[in-house]
Amino acid sequence: MNRRGIGFRLGALAMAAGMLTAAGRAQEGLPLAPAVEKELAAKASDVTEVTLGKNMLDFAAKFMNDKNGDDAQAKKLIQGLKGIYVREYTFDKEGDYSMEQLQQLRAYFETPEWSPIVRERERKSGETTDVLMKVVNGETQGMFILEAAPKELTIVLILGPIRMEDLGELRGIGGLGGALGPLGGVQHTPKPNTKKGGTE
Amino acid sequence: MVYSLALRMTGDRGLAEEIAQDTFLEFDRHLRTIKSEDHARWWLRRVAMSRATDALRRRRVRGMDLWVALNEQDGVTSEEKSSPLGARLEYLLTTLPGAQRAALILRYQEDMMPEEIAALLDAPVATVKSNLQRGLKLLRAKALSQLKEFIRGA
Amino acid sequence: MDEFERELRQALERRPAPPGLKRRLMAQRSATAARGGWWARLGRAGYGRGWATAALLLLAMAGGGIRWELDKRQEARRGQEAREQVLTALRITGHALNQVQTRLSDHDRQTGEGER
Repeated sequence: MNRRGIGFRLGALAMAAGMLTAAGRAQEGLPLAPAVEKELAAKASDVTEVTLGKNMLDFAAKFMNDKNGDDAQAKKLIQGLKGIYVREYTFDKEGDYSMEQLQQLRAYFETPEWSPIVRERERKSGETTDVLMKVVNGETQGMFILEAAPKELTIVLILGPIRMEDLGELRGIGGLGGALGPLGGVQHTPKPNTKKGGTE
Repeated sequence: MVYSLALRMTGDRGLAEEIAQDTFLEFDRHLRTIKSEDHARWWLRRVAMSRATDALRRRRVRGMDLWVALNEQDGVTSEEKSSPLGARLEYLLTTLPGAQRAALILRYQEDMMPEEIAALLDAPVATVKSNLQRGLKLLRAKALSQLKEFIRGA
Repeated sequence: MDEFERELRQALERRPAPPGLKRRLMAQRSATAARGGWWARLGRAGYGRGWATAALLLLAMAGGGIRWELDKRQEARRGQEAREQVLTALRITGHALNQVQTRLSDHDRQTGEGER
Protein backbone atom coordinates (compact mmCIF):
# COMPACT_ATOMS: atom_id res chain seq x y z
CA MET A 1 0.00 0.00 0.00
CA ASN A 2 1.46 3.35 -0.96
CA ARG A 3 1.90 6.24 1.44
CA ARG A 4 -1.45 7.70 0.60
CA GLY A 5 -3.28 4.43 0.91
CA ILE A 6 -4.25 4.63 4.56
CA GLY A 7 -5.73 8.08 4.13
CA PHE A 8 -7.87 7.18 1.16
CA ARG A 9 -9.00 3.98 2.73
CA LEU A 10 -10.04 5.54 6.01
CA GLY A 11 -11.62 8.40 4.15
CA ALA A 12 -13.73 6.12 2.00
CA LEU A 13 -14.86 4.18 5.05
CA ALA A 14 -15.66 7.39 6.86
CA MET A 15 -17.73 8.73 4.01
CA ALA A 16 -19.70 5.54 3.82
CA ALA A 17 -20.32 5.54 7.54
CA GLY A 18 -21.16 9.22 7.54
CA MET A 19 -23.97 8.77 5.08
CA LEU A 20 -25.68 6.48 7.53
CA THR A 21 -25.52 8.77 10.49
CA ALA A 22 -27.42 11.95 11.18
CA ALA A 23 -25.35 15.12 11.08
CA GLY A 24 -24.69 16.10 14.66
CA ARG A 25 -23.84 19.33 16.37
CA ALA A 26 -20.15 20.03 16.03
CA GLN A 27 -18.19 19.03 19.08
CA GLU A 28 -16.05 21.95 20.05
CA GLY A 29 -12.81 21.82 21.93
CA LEU A 30 -10.76 18.96 23.22
CA PRO A 31 -12.09 16.71 25.93
CA LEU A 32 -10.83 17.07 29.45
CA ALA A 33 -8.86 14.08 30.57
CA PRO A 34 -11.37 11.64 31.94
CA ALA A 35 -10.60 9.94 35.21
CA VAL A 36 -9.47 6.79 33.39
CA GLU A 37 -6.58 8.67 31.80
CA LYS A 38 -5.33 9.68 35.23
CA GLU A 39 -5.52 6.04 36.29
CA LEU A 40 -3.57 4.94 33.23
CA ALA A 41 -0.94 7.62 33.74
CA ALA A 42 -0.54 6.61 37.36
CA LYS A 43 0.09 2.98 36.41
CA ALA A 44 2.28 3.60 33.35
CA SER A 45 6.06 3.49 33.55
CA ASP A 46 6.31 6.05 30.78
CA VAL A 47 3.81 8.68 29.71
CA THR A 48 3.77 11.10 26.82
CA GLU A 49 0.98 13.65 26.76
CA VAL A 50 0.41 16.36 24.20
CA THR A 51 -2.66 18.60 24.23
CA LEU A 52 -2.81 21.32 21.61
CA GLY A 53 -5.87 23.51 21.14
CA LYS A 54 -6.54 25.71 18.15
CA ASN A 55 -4.69 28.70 19.57
CA MET A 56 -1.60 26.68 20.31
CA LEU A 57 -1.65 25.08 16.86
CA ASP A 58 -1.94 28.46 15.19
CA PHE A 59 0.84 29.77 17.40
CA ALA A 60 3.12 26.83 16.62
CA ALA A 61 2.49 27.22 12.89
CA LYS A 62 4.07 30.68 13.02
CA PHE A 63 7.34 29.09 14.04
CA MET A 64 7.37 26.41 11.36
CA ASN A 65 9.74 26.91 8.53
CA ASP A 66 7.97 26.65 5.19
CA LYS A 67 11.23 25.66 3.57
CA ASN A 68 11.95 22.80 5.95
CA GLY A 69 10.41 19.51 4.80
CA ASP A 70 9.01 18.32 8.12
CA ASP A 71 7.88 21.76 9.18
CA ALA A 72 6.19 22.43 5.87
CA GLN A 73 4.34 19.11 6.01
CA ALA A 74 3.32 19.61 9.61
CA LYS A 75 2.13 23.12 8.92
CA LYS A 76 0.00 21.90 6.07
CA LEU A 77 -1.47 19.11 8.19
CA ILE A 78 -2.47 21.25 11.13
CA GLN A 79 -3.92 24.04 9.08
CA GLY A 80 -7.50 24.65 10.18
CA LEU A 81 -7.43 22.02 12.91
CA LYS A 82 -9.24 22.72 16.17
CA GLY A 83 -7.04 20.52 18.31
CA ILE A 84 -4.72 17.56 18.66
CA TYR A 85 -4.74 15.36 21.73
CA VAL A 86 -2.23 12.54 22.07
CA ARG A 87 -1.52 10.15 24.90
CA GLU A 88 1.04 7.38 24.85
CA TYR A 89 1.41 5.03 27.81
CA THR A 90 3.97 2.31 28.32
CA PHE A 91 3.51 -0.25 31.06
CA ASP A 92 5.98 -2.52 32.78
CA LYS A 93 3.82 -5.58 32.62
CA GLU A 94 0.75 -6.95 31.00
CA GLY A 95 -2.46 -6.43 32.89
CA ASP A 96 -1.49 -2.98 34.16
CA TYR A 97 -4.54 -1.67 32.41
CA SER A 98 -7.90 -3.36 32.00
CA MET A 99 -10.44 -3.89 29.24
CA GLU A 100 -12.89 -1.87 31.30
CA GLN A 101 -10.60 1.11 31.14
CA LEU A 102 -10.33 0.76 27.37
CA GLN A 103 -14.09 0.61 27.10
CA GLN A 104 -14.39 3.79 29.16
CA LEU A 105 -12.17 5.54 26.63
CA ARG A 106 -14.21 4.26 23.71
CA ALA A 107 -17.47 5.19 25.43
CA TYR A 108 -16.59 8.87 25.17
CA PHE A 109 -17.02 8.60 21.41
CA GLU A 110 -20.17 6.56 21.35
CA THR A 111 -22.22 9.45 20.05
CA PRO A 112 -24.01 9.93 16.73
CA GLU A 113 -21.27 12.23 15.39
CA TRP A 114 -18.65 9.52 15.59
CA SER A 115 -18.61 6.51 13.31
CA PRO A 116 -16.45 3.46 13.95
CA ILE A 117 -14.30 2.87 10.91
CA VAL A 118 -11.86 0.24 12.10
CA ARG A 119 -12.34 -2.21 14.87
CA GLU A 120 -9.74 -4.96 15.04
CA ARG A 121 -9.29 -7.44 17.86
CA GLU A 122 -6.49 -9.97 17.90
CA ARG A 123 -7.04 -12.60 20.48
CA LYS A 124 -3.59 -14.12 20.35
CA SER A 125 -1.61 -10.98 20.90
CA GLY A 126 -4.32 -9.18 22.83
CA GLU A 127 -3.96 -6.18 20.56
CA THR A 128 -6.90 -4.00 19.60
CA THR A 129 -7.30 -1.18 17.14
CA ASP A 130 -10.15 1.32 17.03
CA VAL A 131 -10.48 4.14 14.58
CA LEU A 132 -13.48 6.43 14.67
CA MET A 133 -14.20 9.35 12.42
CA LYS A 134 -16.42 12.30 12.91
CA VAL A 135 -18.29 13.23 9.77
CA VAL A 136 -20.38 16.39 9.66
CA ASN A 137 -22.32 17.29 6.53
CA GLY A 138 -20.21 14.91 4.52
CA GLU A 139 -16.91 16.28 5.72
CA THR A 140 -14.44 14.66 8.08
CA GLN A 141 -14.17 16.77 11.17
CA GLY A 142 -12.34 14.51 13.54
CA MET A 143 -10.46 11.28 14.03
CA PHE A 144 -9.97 9.12 17.07
CA ILE A 145 -7.45 6.28 17.21
CA LEU A 146 -7.06 3.87 20.10
CA GLU A 147 -4.20 1.44 19.70
CA ALA A 148 -3.86 -1.08 22.50
CA ALA A 149 -1.07 -3.61 22.94
CA PRO A 150 -0.44 -5.59 26.13
CA LYS A 151 2.11 -3.08 27.43
CA GLU A 152 1.35 -0.03 25.38
CA LEU A 153 -1.57 2.27 24.75
CA THR A 154 -1.80 5.04 22.21
CA ILE A 155 -4.67 7.51 22.05
CA VAL A 156 -4.93 10.07 19.28
CA LEU A 157 -7.73 12.56 18.90
CA ILE A 158 -7.72 15.13 16.13
CA LEU A 159 -10.51 17.65 15.82
CA GLY A 160 -11.12 19.76 12.78
CA PRO A 161 -11.06 19.26 9.04
CA ILE A 162 -8.80 16.39 8.13
CA ARG A 163 -7.64 16.00 4.59
CA MET A 164 -7.35 12.30 3.99
CA GLU A 165 -4.74 12.72 1.31
CA ASP A 166 -2.48 14.35 3.92
CA LEU A 167 -2.75 11.51 6.40
CA GLY A 168 -0.23 9.48 4.48
CA GLU A 169 2.29 12.30 4.93
CA LEU A 170 2.30 11.62 8.66
CA ARG A 171 4.39 8.56 8.09
CA GLY A 172 7.12 10.74 6.68
CA ILE A 173 7.23 12.86 9.79
CA GLY A 174 7.24 9.77 11.98
CA GLY A 175 10.34 8.49 10.22
CA LEU A 176 12.39 11.43 11.39
CA GLY A 177 11.75 10.95 15.07
CA GLY A 178 15.41 10.74 15.99
CA ALA A 179 16.25 14.04 14.34
CA LEU A 180 13.85 15.92 16.56
CA GLY A 181 15.96 15.41 19.64
CA PRO A 182 14.47 16.18 23.06
CA LEU A 183 10.72 16.49 23.29
CA GLY A 184 10.92 20.12 24.36
CA GLY A 185 7.68 21.24 25.88
CA VAL A 186 5.99 17.88 25.57
CA GLN A 187 5.03 16.44 28.90
CA HIS A 188 7.02 13.24 28.98
CA THR A 189 7.17 11.37 32.22
CA PRO A 190 9.61 8.53 32.40
CA LYS A 191 9.09 6.89 35.72
CA PRO A 192 12.16 6.28 37.88
CA ASN A 193 14.09 3.07 37.45
CA THR A 194 12.44 2.23 34.14
CA LYS A 195 13.84 2.24 30.69
CA LYS A 196 12.84 5.18 28.52
CA GLY A 197 9.83 4.35 26.43
CA GLY A 198 7.08 6.21 24.64
CA THR A 199 8.10 7.77 21.37
CA GLU A 200 11.02 6.44 19.39
CA MET B 1 11.25 55.99 30.34
CA VAL B 2 13.89 58.05 28.56
CA TYR B 3 11.44 60.61 27.29
CA SER B 4 9.72 60.79 30.66
CA LEU B 5 13.00 61.39 32.48
CA ALA B 6 14.01 64.09 30.05
CA LEU B 7 10.62 65.75 30.21
CA ARG B 8 10.52 65.88 33.99
CA MET B 9 14.06 67.17 34.21
CA THR B 10 13.71 69.89 31.63
CA GLY B 11 9.97 70.54 31.69
CA ASP B 12 10.23 71.20 27.98
CA ARG B 13 8.59 68.78 25.55
CA GLY B 14 10.65 69.74 22.53
CA LEU B 15 13.85 69.52 24.47
CA ALA B 16 12.81 66.20 25.97
CA GLU B 17 12.24 64.81 22.47
CA GLU B 18 15.65 65.97 21.37
CA ILE B 19 17.28 64.41 24.41
CA ALA B 20 15.37 61.17 23.88
CA GLN B 21 16.39 61.01 20.24
CA ASP B 22 20.05 61.66 21.00
CA THR B 23 20.00 59.09 23.77
CA PHE B 24 18.59 56.39 21.52
CA LEU B 25 21.06 57.11 18.78
CA GLU B 26 23.91 56.90 21.23
CA PHE B 27 22.43 53.71 22.65
CA ASP B 28 22.49 52.14 19.20
CA ARG B 29 26.15 52.97 18.87
CA HIS B 30 26.89 51.37 22.20
CA LEU B 31 24.67 48.35 21.73
CA ARG B 32 27.57 45.92 21.60
CA THR B 33 28.61 46.92 25.09
CA ILE B 34 25.19 46.24 26.59
CA LYS B 35 25.24 43.05 28.56
CA SER B 36 21.77 42.64 29.98
CA GLU B 37 18.37 44.19 30.53
CA ASP B 38 19.52 45.78 33.80
CA HIS B 39 22.60 47.16 32.12
CA ALA B 40 20.54 48.65 29.29
CA ARG B 41 18.12 50.24 31.73
CA TRP B 42 20.97 51.67 33.76
CA TRP B 43 22.72 52.96 30.66
CA LEU B 44 19.62 54.67 29.28
CA ARG B 45 18.82 56.35 32.57
CA ARG B 46 22.35 57.56 33.02
CA VAL B 47 22.71 59.06 29.59
CA ALA B 48 19.22 60.57 29.65
CA MET B 49 19.87 62.26 33.00
CA SER B 50 23.27 63.46 31.91
CA ARG B 51 21.97 65.00 28.70
CA ALA B 52 19.01 66.54 30.50
CA THR B 53 21.30 68.14 33.09
CA ASP B 54 23.53 69.48 30.32
CA ALA B 55 20.53 70.86 28.49
CA LEU B 56 19.31 72.60 31.63
CA ARG B 57 22.66 74.25 32.10
CA ARG B 58 22.64 75.52 28.56
CA ARG B 59 19.10 76.82 28.64
CA ARG B 60 17.02 78.71 31.17
CA VAL B 61 13.33 77.86 31.30
CA ARG B 62 10.76 79.88 33.23
CA GLY B 63 8.38 78.20 35.63
CA MET B 64 5.10 78.93 33.82
CA ASP B 65 6.49 77.79 30.46
CA LEU B 66 7.38 74.50 32.07
CA TRP B 67 3.87 73.98 33.26
CA VAL B 68 2.37 74.71 29.87
CA ALA B 69 4.85 72.39 28.16
CA LEU B 70 4.08 69.55 30.54
CA ASN B 71 0.40 69.79 29.92
CA GLU B 72 0.53 70.05 26.16
CA GLN B 73 1.74 66.58 25.37
CA ASP B 74 -0.61 63.98 23.93
CA GLY B 75 -3.69 65.91 24.88
CA VAL B 76 -3.28 65.21 28.56
CA THR B 77 -4.66 68.04 30.60
CA SER B 78 -4.21 68.74 34.27
CA GLU B 79 -7.79 67.68 34.83
CA GLU B 80 -6.98 64.21 33.58
CA LYS B 81 -4.23 63.63 36.10
CA SER B 82 -4.89 61.34 38.97
CA SER B 83 -5.39 64.22 41.43
CA PRO B 84 -5.09 68.02 41.52
CA LEU B 85 -2.23 67.64 43.99
CA GLY B 86 -0.49 65.23 41.64
CA ALA B 87 -0.69 67.66 38.77
CA ARG B 88 0.57 70.44 40.98
CA LEU B 89 3.45 68.36 42.30
CA GLU B 90 4.64 67.59 38.81
CA TYR B 91 4.78 71.29 38.09
CA LEU B 92 6.40 72.21 41.41
CA LEU B 93 9.11 69.61 40.83
CA THR B 94 10.35 71.59 37.90
CA THR B 95 10.99 74.57 40.14
CA LEU B 96 13.46 72.70 42.36
CA PRO B 97 17.22 72.90 41.96
CA GLY B 98 18.55 70.43 39.40
CA ALA B 99 20.29 68.03 41.78
CA GLN B 100 17.25 67.73 44.03
CA ARG B 101 14.97 67.35 41.05
CA ALA B 102 17.11 64.59 39.59
CA ALA B 103 17.19 62.69 42.87
CA LEU B 104 13.42 62.90 43.32
CA ILE B 105 12.67 61.86 39.75
CA LEU B 106 14.92 58.83 39.99
CA ARG B 107 13.50 57.95 43.37
CA TYR B 108 9.81 58.36 42.66
CA GLN B 109 9.51 57.83 38.94
CA GLU B 110 12.09 55.07 38.59
CA ASP B 111 11.75 53.57 42.09
CA MET B 112 15.49 53.60 42.57
CA MET B 113 17.13 53.42 45.98
CA PRO B 114 19.54 56.15 47.08
CA GLU B 115 22.53 53.86 46.55
CA GLU B 116 21.44 53.12 42.99
CA ILE B 117 20.87 56.80 42.32
CA ALA B 118 24.32 57.59 43.66
CA ALA B 119 25.91 55.02 41.36
CA LEU B 120 23.99 56.33 38.37
CA LEU B 121 24.85 59.96 38.98
CA ASP B 122 28.40 59.30 40.14
CA ALA B 123 27.64 61.08 43.39
CA PRO B 124 28.22 60.13 47.02
CA VAL B 125 25.29 58.34 48.65
CA ALA B 126 25.19 60.94 51.41
CA THR B 127 24.78 63.70 48.83
CA VAL B 128 21.93 61.87 47.16
CA LYS B 129 20.18 61.29 50.48
CA SER B 130 20.61 64.91 51.36
CA ASN B 131 19.17 66.00 48.01
CA LEU B 132 16.23 63.66 48.47
CA GLN B 133 15.54 64.97 51.94
CA ARG B 134 15.87 68.63 51.05
CA GLY B 135 14.01 68.21 47.78
CA LEU B 136 11.09 66.52 49.48
CA LYS B 137 11.00 69.14 52.21
CA LEU B 138 11.04 71.96 49.69
CA LEU B 139 8.37 70.29 47.60
CA ARG B 140 6.11 69.87 50.62
CA ALA B 141 6.57 73.48 51.56
CA LYS B 142 5.81 74.67 48.06
CA ALA B 143 2.74 72.47 47.86
CA LEU B 144 1.49 73.77 51.20
CA SER B 145 2.19 77.33 50.22
CA GLN B 146 0.27 76.88 46.97
CA LEU B 147 -2.63 75.33 48.86
CA LYS B 148 -2.77 78.29 51.23
CA GLU B 149 -2.70 80.67 48.28
CA PHE B 150 -5.50 78.71 46.71
CA ILE B 151 -7.61 78.85 49.89
CA ARG B 152 -6.98 82.56 50.30
CA GLY B 153 -7.95 83.18 46.76
CA ALA B 154 -11.14 81.12 46.92
CA MET C 1 6.56 56.18 52.58
CA ASP C 2 4.00 58.74 53.72
CA GLU C 3 0.95 60.01 51.90
CA PHE C 4 2.77 62.89 50.29
CA GLU C 5 5.42 60.60 48.91
CA ARG C 6 2.75 58.28 47.55
CA GLU C 7 1.11 61.21 45.82
CA LEU C 8 4.45 62.22 44.39
CA ARG C 9 5.08 58.71 43.12
CA GLN C 10 1.68 58.67 41.45
CA ALA C 11 2.26 62.10 39.97
CA LEU C 12 5.56 60.88 38.55
CA GLU C 13 4.23 57.90 36.63
CA ARG C 14 6.14 57.63 33.41
CA ARG C 15 4.87 59.72 30.56
CA PRO C 16 4.74 57.98 27.19
CA ALA C 17 6.77 59.35 24.32
CA PRO C 18 4.76 61.16 21.67
CA PRO C 19 4.03 59.07 18.55
CA GLY C 20 5.87 61.52 16.38
CA LEU C 21 9.10 60.74 18.15
CA LYS C 22 8.76 57.03 17.51
CA ARG C 23 8.02 57.62 13.86
CA ARG C 24 11.01 59.89 13.48
CA LEU C 25 13.33 57.41 15.09
CA MET C 26 12.07 54.56 12.93
CA ALA C 27 12.44 56.69 9.82
CA GLN C 28 15.94 57.65 10.85
CA ARG C 29 16.88 54.03 11.38
CA SER C 30 15.44 53.01 8.01
CA ALA C 31 17.34 55.80 6.29
CA THR C 32 20.55 54.78 7.97
CA ALA C 33 20.01 51.16 7.06
CA ALA C 34 19.42 52.09 3.42
CA ARG C 35 22.68 53.97 3.41
CA GLY C 36 24.40 50.91 4.86
CA GLY C 37 25.39 52.75 8.01
CA TRP C 38 26.11 51.43 11.43
CA TRP C 39 22.50 50.34 11.89
CA ALA C 40 22.64 48.12 8.84
CA ARG C 41 25.85 46.59 10.13
CA LEU C 42 24.12 45.81 13.39
CA GLY C 43 21.22 44.27 11.51
CA ARG C 44 23.54 42.15 9.40
CA ALA C 45 25.26 40.93 12.53
CA GLY C 46 22.33 38.63 12.91
CA TYR C 47 18.58 38.52 13.08
CA GLY C 48 18.66 38.36 16.85
CA ARG C 49 20.81 41.46 17.25
CA GLY C 50 18.79 43.67 14.94
CA TRP C 51 15.57 42.49 16.49
CA ALA C 52 16.85 43.05 20.01
CA THR C 53 17.90 46.58 19.13
CA ALA C 54 14.56 47.43 17.59
CA ALA C 55 12.70 45.99 20.54
CA LEU C 56 14.87 47.81 23.09
CA LEU C 57 14.36 51.12 21.39
CA LEU C 58 10.65 50.73 21.00
CA LEU C 59 9.98 49.86 24.58
CA ALA C 60 12.42 52.42 25.93
CA MET C 61 10.47 54.99 23.97
CA ALA C 62 7.19 53.65 25.19
CA GLY C 63 8.41 54.10 28.73
CA GLY C 64 7.66 50.49 29.39
CA GLY C 65 11.11 49.39 30.41
CA ILE C 66 12.87 46.77 28.40
CA ARG C 67 10.66 43.93 29.38
CA TRP C 68 9.19 43.79 25.86
CA GLU C 69 12.50 42.64 24.47
CA LEU C 70 12.59 39.77 26.91
CA ASP C 71 8.95 39.02 26.13
CA LYS C 72 9.84 38.61 22.45
CA ARG C 73 12.60 36.16 23.29
CA GLN C 74 10.28 34.27 25.56
CA GLU C 75 7.68 34.17 22.83
CA ALA C 76 10.21 32.73 20.40
CA ARG C 77 11.13 30.08 22.93
CA ARG C 78 7.50 29.21 23.57
CA GLY C 79 6.91 29.07 19.84
CA GLN C 80 9.69 26.55 19.38
CA GLU C 81 8.33 24.48 22.23
CA ALA C 82 4.88 24.52 20.66
CA ARG C 83 6.39 23.51 17.33
CA GLU C 84 8.14 20.55 18.92
CA GLN C 85 4.94 19.50 20.61
CA VAL C 86 3.14 19.53 17.29
CA LEU C 87 5.84 17.47 15.61
CA THR C 88 5.80 14.97 18.45
CA ALA C 89 2.02 14.68 18.30
CA LEU C 90 2.14 14.13 14.57
CA ARG C 91 4.90 11.59 14.93
CA ILE C 92 2.88 9.60 17.43
CA THR C 93 -0.16 9.87 15.18
CA GLY C 94 1.87 8.65 12.23
CA HIS C 95 3.07 5.70 14.25
CA ALA C 96 -0.49 4.86 15.27
CA LEU C 97 -1.65 5.07 11.67
CA ASN C 98 1.17 2.74 10.66
CA GLN C 99 -0.18 0.25 13.13
CA VAL C 100 -3.69 0.66 11.78
CA GLN C 101 -2.46 0.15 8.26
CA THR C 102 -0.56 -2.96 9.28
CA ARG C 103 -3.66 -4.44 10.87
CA LEU C 104 -5.82 -3.60 7.89
CA SER C 105 -3.28 -5.22 5.62
CA ASP C 106 -3.17 -8.30 7.81
CA HIS C 107 -6.95 -8.39 7.84
CA ASP C 108 -7.07 -8.13 4.08
CA ARG C 109 -4.58 -10.95 3.71
CA GLN C 110 -6.53 -13.15 6.04
CA THR C 111 -9.81 -12.52 4.33
CA GLY C 112 -8.27 -12.63 0.88
CA GLU C 113 -9.57 -9.16 -0.06
CA GLY C 114 -6.19 -7.88 -1.21
CA GLU C 115 -5.13 -4.27 -1.36
CA ARG C 116 -7.40 -1.66 -2.84
